Amino acid sequence: MKRNIFIQALSNPLAFSGFIIIIGILLLAFLAPLITPYDPNAIDVKAILLSPSSQHLMGTDGLGRDVFSRMLFGARISLLVGMVAVGIATAIGIVLGAISGYYRGWVDIVIMRTVDVMLSIPTFFLILAVIAFLTPSIWNIMIVIGLTSWMGVTRLVRAEFLSLRGREFVLAAQTLGAKDRRLIFTHLLPNSLTPIIVSSVLGVASAVLIESGLSFLGLGVQAPQASWGNILTDGKEYIQFAWWLSLFPGLAILITVLGYNLLGEGLRDALDPRSAKK
Amino acid sequence: MTKYLLKRLFWMVPLLVGISLVSFLIMHLAPGDITTSEASFNPKASEESRQKLRQIYHLDEPVIVQYGLWLKRMGTLDFGTSFATHQRPVFWETKDKDGNVNKGMIQQALPITLMINLLSLGLIIVAALPLGVISALTQNRPPDRAITLFVFIGFAIPSFWLALILMYWTGVVHDWLPISGLHSLDYENMGWLAKIVDTLQHVFLPVFISGLSGLAGISLFVRNGMLDVLHQDYITTARAKGLSENTVVYGHALRNALLPLITILGLAIPGLIGGSVIAESIFAIPGMGKLFYDAVLMRDFPVIMGILTIGSALTLLGNLLADVAYAWADPRVRRGVVQ
Repeated sequence: MKRNIFIQALSNPLAFSGFIIIIGILLLAFLAPLITPYDPNAIDVKAILLSPSSQHLMGTDGLGRDVFSRMLFGARISLLVGMVAVGIATAIGIVLGAISGYYRGWVDIVIMRTVDVMLSIPTFFLILAVIAFLTPSIWNIMIVIGLTSWMGVTRLVRAEFLSLRGREFVLAAQTLGAKDRRLIFTHLLPNSLTPIIVSSVLGVASAVLIESGLSFLGLGVQAPQASWGNILTDGKEYIQFAWWLSLFPGLAILITVLGYNLLGEGLRDALDPRSAKK
Repeated sequence: MTKYLLKRLFWMVPLLVGISLVSFLIMHLAPGDITTSEASFNPKASEESRQKLRQIYHLDEPVIVQYGLWLKRMGTLDFGTSFATHQRPVFWETKDKDGNVNKGMIQQALPITLMINLLSLGLIIVAALPLGVISALTQNRPPDRAITLFVFIGFAIPSFWLALILMYWTGVVHDWLPISGLHSLDYENMGWLAKIVDTLQHVFLPVFISGLSGLAGISLFVRNGMLDVLHQDYITTARAKGLSENTVVYGHALRNALLPLITILGLAIPGLIGGSVIAESIFAIPGMGKLFYDAVLMRDFPVIMGILTIGSALTLLGNLLADVAYAWADPRVRRGVVQ
């Protein structure tokens, strides 16, 4: 059933282009040192603010660093932050959602009220406060984004568990004497996996946006390490005479977020039985 | 209905206590306080005077005692005074003994952020409705695909990047719009109409940018809601009766598809408030986001706590308002609520 949904989603042209975009960016990030001859942090005073040319595909910045190399290595950072943050959020969400939906009772009440509390605090404010108090580093950013975005997955997993628990195959397994652990790990969790994957794909998109926003405010990935957000921040000083410093990082963020969203929405559409009838 | 309202309002109290506890703990678990950030500006600040400052603000007490003190003052709606900005009241104006009025920081910032958010919410609704309806009526055909792609691009554009480009293009290259602030320099001397025009010119870009990023969610929601409703039996009945397609779509389907939108708009509030940080810092607009950003950098605990609490309370009120509006608009929900 799972495979069907992915194939069905990829037959939608928008979702398919999202998929291609993601694969392309992952490849560029992964192969970065093979693609570019320049060191992304090497300062070259003889090559300051050169416009794009065949030597420097996206020009150079105020310190003479090759922008194309910085974009490629920045892609590694942005994607890593996005995926690890979503990994953390999904792990928390699965554990809490499973406990909540399986055991119900007072544990469920406590967890769901905590979700309500977390959802009521404007998330970006919370992230900003924590990040500003810790030293901004790539690890802190991943952890903080992860710790402030698990609520959706928790609700999702809980709802899946609640609906699956009443299904006949689960009742049958329970009647045959399956223990809690077996029920959760071999029956309930595998059957809740598809919606979890969909929400993770969409989660990467918003995590990438949050990271770039933090870096733009100077509270994200710190120099000299390149991230799309901080290349843009450096570039905004030069916007009047070096447009390439502002254009490329913004486009990169746009395309990446778009890719994850198109794929994620395509998957969600394919998953939704209501959208199947035409 | 009154009973339901009272019950909901009553439940907001423990939620707000929970929210403030979470915010308080998170802030105080992190190392550093106002005395460390003040000291970096003033090398002469001795360890002794810093210790004294900590005592004045109870920063030397255990976190849970500090929280107790904060909660106790909250009982009388006293948000305290700011650490960093010469003792300005955090929430509402106070009078000193000479009768001078000292305006509250949130009192001044909140209306600005609310105005921008309400304008962008209005913009989102006006744009999302037609886009969502057209999308649904042309499901999986080119117009639908184009609209979906467009709203996704709107969501994916990093707002600070778009802000930067539009600011440069409309303000520096063409001089069409003011590039920052909320008012022009001679604002005080303008007539009321000129004042409104001036303010609208200043908030145009922030409103447009936050509207564009919020468009995707709502227009997809209208699209999927319409598709859902268009497959219901009563739509088939309406068509079978021989009603015109326009009456079916706009009279029967749209009205029902729009109902859940009320709830979604209520849920969008925290995102809009949180999103104001970046827009307000770029355009130098003195709203809640800018205030919060500055307070965070100064570790101004009373201001941070005040904004987090007020922001969360607004979110809860927004959700309540949405639920009440939903009950008012949909008799089925109303019956459920009363029972």
